[in-house]
Amino acid sequence: MSGTDDRVAVAASDAWPEDVEEEEGVVVNWFAREGRRVEDGEAICEIQVEKVSVDVPAPASGELVAIERDEDDEIAREDVLAYIDPD
Amino acid sequence: MAQEERRQVIDRELTMSRAMVEAIAHEMRADDEVFYMGEDVADYGGIFDSTEGLLEEFGRDRVMDVPISETAYLGAAVGAAQEGMRPVAELMFVDFFGVAMDQIYNQMAKNTYMSGGAVNVPMVLTAAVGGTYNDAAQHSQTLYGTFAHLPGMKVVVPSTAYDAKGLMHNAIQDDDPVVYLFHKRLMGIGWMPAPDGPKTPVPEEEYTIPFGSADVKREGDDATVVTLGLHVHRALEAADALAEDGIDAEVIDLRTLVPLDTETIRESVAKTGRLVVVDEDYRSYGVTGEVIASVAEDGLADLEAVERVAVPDVPLPYARPMENEVVPDSDDIESAVRSAYDA
Amino acid sequence: MVLVSELREMYEDMVTARYYEERLQEEYLEGKQPAFDISAGPIPGELHLAAGQEAAAAGVCRHLRDDDTATAPHRPHHVAIAKGVDLKRMTAEIFGRENGLSSGKGGHMHLFDPDAGFACSGIIAQGCPPAVGAGLAAKKRNEDGVAVAFLGEGAISQGAFLESLNLAAVQRLPVVFVVEDNDWAISMPKGRVTDVADGSQRAAGFDMPGVRVDYDDATAVYDAAREAVGRARAGNGPTLLEVQVHRRMGHFMGDPESYRPEEDVEAAQARDSIERLAEDLRGAGLEDDDLEAIREDARERVDEAIEWAKEQPEPEPDAAHEDVFVNPPSGVTTEEPTHELAGGDD
Repeated sequence: MSGTDDRVAVAASDAWPEDVEEEEGVVVNWFAREGRRVEDGEAICEIQVEKVSVDVPAPASGELVAIERDEDDEIAREDVLAYIDPD
Repeated sequence: MAQEERRQVIDRELTMSRAMVEAIAHEMRADDEVFYMGEDVADYGGIFDSTEGLLEEFGRDRVMDVPISETAYLGAAVGAAQEGMRPVAELMFVDFFGVAMDQIYNQMAKNTYMSGGAVNVPMVLTAAVGGTYNDAAQHSQTLYGTFAHLPGMKVVVPSTAYDAKGLMHNAIQDDDPVVYLFHKRLMGIGWMPAPDGPKTPVPEEEYTIPFGSADVKREGDDATVVTLGLHVHRALEAADALAEDGIDAEVIDLRTLVPLDTETIRESVAKTGRLVVVDEDYRSYGVTGEVIASVAEDGLADLEAVERVAVPDVPLPYARPMENEVVPDSDDIESAVRSAYDA
Repeated sequence: MVLVSELREMYEDMVTARYYEERLQEEYLEGKQPAFDISAGPIPGELHLAAGQEAAAAGVCRHLRDDDTATAPHRPHHVAIAKGVDLKRMTAEIFGRENGLSSGKGGHMHLFDPDAGFACSGIIAQGCPPAVGAGLAAKKRNEDGVAVAFLGEGAISQGAFLESLNLAAVQRLPVVFVVEDNDWAISMPKGRVTDVADGSQRAAGFDMPGVRVDYDDATAVYDAAREAVGRARAGNGPTLLEVQVHRRMGHFMGDPESYRPEEDVEAAQARDSIERLAEDLRGAGLEDDDLEAIREDARERVDEAIEWAKEQPEPEPDAAHEDVFVNPPSGVTTEEPTHELAGGDD
């Protein structure tokens, strides 16, 4: 694996529903495990914010190298959910 | 067969609801005659996410919200199917089948037979089943045995995303009416967290799982646990606990009730000698009795011990201590296996 | 002309129901944030709140006696309160407690209080036929009791409703059907599931009077219901009454309402039938202090009921096996087979 500086963060804020004031949510589902190759735009995770479930797309193609927030973990808008090592 | 399929390297995981939707969308793309109708299936995407995203791709003509008129729209599905279309019609909760029972059991299930095979009814009736979230007597039943008892319907009960997708492809392609019962607790919905297990790797391409092929979800030599739906996962949990005490349980997921794969069950019982049948439906006149009878008829000599674990014959109560009392959990399964093992 | 005392009673029912549901909402969400898990928190199961629909129940039930019957659907609290259901035991039922109306077996969609003439069904429109049956019993006994079936506008396309209209009409039964039109059947707006904007027009097909009350005006509901209930009580047959109400929140707690235009939610929340009735009361001479006293009294009763309910024990698990029959036949048991059979005096 190359230097961690190259990793792309999967940010909760990218998927956070608009018009929602709630600053906390929860990770509902991961659709990929660490070590898997993901495609840019593919739904890799589902989060729930104020009863609304939204998919979190991969921000880049590459290997999902680290999941930072597991299923059922509570999250905040500014949290990083995972890192991708881009192609 | 299933084991062979699982050997493929697939690393994308899906929830059961997404796997079902993927199969439905695939069939809708492949055949313009396939359409979906039900209450809150369009804009809402199904109360239990059973149609999430379909409206956006297929529009209102093919993903139809219908009035709260189950008799009319389930009957309309029967009529459209007899015209050769392939409707998928959803009952939001299986408990609502009573509202439209005539269309289901006197029309959908019997028209093929009554016509001497001159007409057929290639439709799928989907419905959410199951308890565990305290929705009480009118919204928590599974009714597996009811549909399986009445002749003329194929009855499907998936327990994992992988099975859900393959079985849905098969259901829509089948030329007979198929009742496809999905357990709410397994769908992977944000507000109703699923246990570990139903979310599995799912291939992106189409595949079918033939009806009547039970799946051995765990191999074991000491006892055969036959079950379906949510209770596959509860049985696997019980099997893990039993393994710590050296009791090796085999867990068979029926996957379809009609047709019933009695061969897989009998082979397993011939090996283990002990049969434990676990069901979330009512105890009497149901799945447990049927499975035991099907083994007893041809394999009585193999049977050293029999146990059944099911909902005692009471409606599903509301308060948590009472619902927990009547819906079998992994401890109930564990003790039934122990009891069979010690017999 | 409506007596001020009647308006007061309606106001009391409405503010009680509204505050009751605000409190239930708070309790229900406890343990459900930030993750909304339907199985977490002190109140089990689903919860369907009726905030915005109080005027229909308050205006109709003012004309009912304890020995009259009301049936409600899955959204029953405001009807139960207006019909005089025991607030403490109803609350205990909603919390799934042993001293609840149904000993914890029914829950919020299945409230039964025979003393108050109240029952529910969680299945759409299925409370209509039993209401017809209550009317039939009154007629057969030559009593002047009346039965009222409450339902939502989503239910008016259901066979059980239409068949009930016909049966009640042809038998001239003392029944009033009250459609609470909040415009939404979960995610389906009325305009997409029926071509008839005014649901009371369904009555014409059965040759019975059909009346629609717009703008959830409790006083107007009261007037319309006086005629409908009076007609039924006098032996002149059923009436279909539709009342426009407003769904101020989701179909059930947990409904994200992603399907619903923001303007529609705002419009529903902007129209307040309780404030409208308060204006009528002010017009009739009540001071703001009088209204506040009514509200304060309602808050006290509700808080007391919730506190009491939460102090009640949960049912014993074994109680699940009781009440399938009032008279369990000998040889029938719901216990595990290792237990002795019930009965046994043969």
